[in-house]
Amino acid sequence: MPQDMPPSGGYEPVQYRRNLPVRGFRPAYYLAAVGVIMTYGFYRYGQGIREQNELAREKMWSRIYLIPLLQAEEDRDLVRKTLASRAMEKELLGAETKVYNSDRFVRPTYAVTPANITK
Amino acid sequence: MSARQPRFNQHLLIDTTPLPDSIPKVQEVGSSSAPLLSASYFIGARCKAYNDDYMQCKTEANGKGEMDCLREGRKVTRCAGSVLEDVNKSCLEEFRKHWECLDNNNQQLWQCRKWERPLNSCVFEKLNLEKKIPGAPENETPVHLRKRQIFAHSIMTQ
Repeated sequence: MPQDMPPSGGYEPVQYRRNLPVRGFRPAYYLAAVGVIMTYGFYRYGQGIREQNELAREKMWSRIYLIPLLQAEEDRDLVRKTLASRAMEKELLGAETKVYNSDRFVRPTYAVTPANITK
Repeated sequence: MSARQPRFNQHLLIDTTPLPDSIPKVQEVGSSSAPLLSASYFIGARCKAYNDDYMQCKTEANGKGEMDCLREGRKVTRCAGSVLEDVNKSCLEEFRKHWECLDNNNQQLWQCRKWERPLNSCVFEKLNLEKKIPGAPENETPVHLRKRQIFAHSIMTQ
């Protein structure tokens, strides 16, 4: 009568001894790889910083070249407003009053608002 | 405190009285920021003497610079206006492309090198004005001549 017997050759041997192989490269190689990657990263970072400095220099010089033009325009506007306010003062009060004892230009504290709304 | 800001709550009040006739009139440069930025190095190349005169006048005037340096200011405005006029006459298309690109890119010069190169070469040929960055280190190519811009957004605009 058929019974549940082991296979005819027997079972294969069971592994009972430890099998923990040591893997990996030498630690020095790992450190070297990390060092190389970090050096490359810092090199690229430094390149980027240098390029940013050059771009900042370009931006500053373009602004420097434009400053006299813009300042001259603003000065003309300021002179126009000052002369207009002096003329208005002369017209309304009759004489120009000096607030300070020197001739230096000081931005006036009070501004006369025109009677007609201009804008 | 003499610099107190006025507070007008309802209306904008601008005194539109023009300059008196004793002061000579000058054609104002009515340009917005992108064309001015685009042409700034050319203005610097042609108008260096006038700019230096104006800044020296302002530093030495000691508070009265606005009234006393009007003459130098007019020279500066006329020179810059002439640069813009010449660039418009000879290199209009390249100039326009470049400043439109700057308008689209937050006025960042490094995004628009593709249009800056033809503009620079056209202006150098026709007007003999070269873009130079003073103070740049001598042993490397200047940043506007480099083939690869590290910070540009896309390779197409380099």
